[in-house]
Amino acid sequence: MKPEDEVLADLKALAESYRGLEAPAGVEANLRSAFRNRGRRRRFLAWRWIPAIAAAAILLIIASYRIASYRRPAPETPRVENVPPVVRRVSADIRAAAPLNRRVARTRKPAAAQEIATEFFPLVEFAPPVDSGELVRVSLPASAMRDVGLPVREDRLADRVQADVFISEGRATAIRFVKYAQ
Amino acid sequence: MPALNSNRKQKPDGMVVITISDHDLLKRMLAGEEDAFTALYRRRQAAVYRFALQMTASVVIAEDVTQEVFMELIEHGRRFDPARGALTSFLFGVARNLVLRRIEKDRSQHESELADLAAEDDVVGDLTRRQTIERVRRAVLSLPAVYREAVVLCDLEDQSYEDAAIALDCPVGTVRSRLNRGRAMLAQKLRGKKETVA
Repeated sequence: MKPEDEVLADLKALAESYRGLEAPAGVEANLRSAFRNRGRRRRFLAWRWIPAIAAAAILLIIASYRIASYRRPAPETPRVENVPPVVRRVSADIRAAAPLNRRVARTRKPAAAQEIATEFFPLVEFAPPVDSGELVRVSLPASAMRDVGLPVREDRLADRVQADVFISEGRATAIRFVKYAQ
Repeated sequence: MPALNSNRKQKPDGMVVITISDHDLLKRMLAGEEDAFTALYRRRQAAVYRFALQMTASVVIAEDVTQEVFMELIEHGRRFDPARGALTSFLFGVARNLVLRRIEKDRSQHESELADLAAEDDVVGDLTRRQTIERVRRAVLSLPAVYREAVVLCDLEDQSYEDAAIALDCPVGTVRSRLNRGRAMLAQKLRGKKETVA
């Protein structure tokens, strides 16, 4: 027999001697346990994201709400057509005062103070269409409030009060009184 | 569930045997099926264990390596690319890296365990035959690792040159040349021992 064939025969005998050899059963048990643990770990890792996603969603909702609030337009000035159809006599000095005080009134509004305004009181019996117009801040004697039916103490009639006059087609058609919350 | 790529074989008694491919078992295993992992392990563990044992002659290392190879499969089984070769080659490749690392680390322990292995290997009745086998085993173990792994894979584990090349991460031609060189070295060692015994 050639040396190479002898080697191959020897190797074959050696391979035969190994036949049937297997890893001990303990290895399989360890591996199966590791496999189960890994499955549990993977499931845990998958669920671990749920609270994080929920928290992120809540933050997103809050942020969206805040952005929407920030961008929301300021409440519109009540339109004159919504004014209750109550017609009162108004003294002529109110109508006269409105355009004259326009420039002064615009500079008086404190930036941070909160305004409290009454409803609009019509100044004319038949208000013209209010498709367009201008709201002008004016300063008037408190007696003007009496003219639209608001109560004013006698000793305060000469005090100055702030008012918004709605000007439409060159005429003062409605008025509301304004004061600043402290 | 992944589609099965299975082999159906009908036995002479009419019984149909369905063999699920390694790759399909792996896919099921990666999907979390423990039974698929168990089936795959039982199918391939012996070859991995023997390879590690033949390379190191250490039962302890062979056990460790087998466990680590299949742990690697559990953890990183998705790295297996069926286009690059059979799963067996992948497993041998992982085992080989682990074995070489352990050989480097535990070089001093091998000789002491070799004697224990020989003593346990008492299944072959004929004393001469046992001596021959032990002689060959020692000769194989004395080969440099690059030749030893080629001999173990191709001659002891019946792997094709192509599969061995994948496992050893080298060209087929390199496997052939290492195998020839390994056999020649074995022949020389065995002949020398025979002469010494005579």
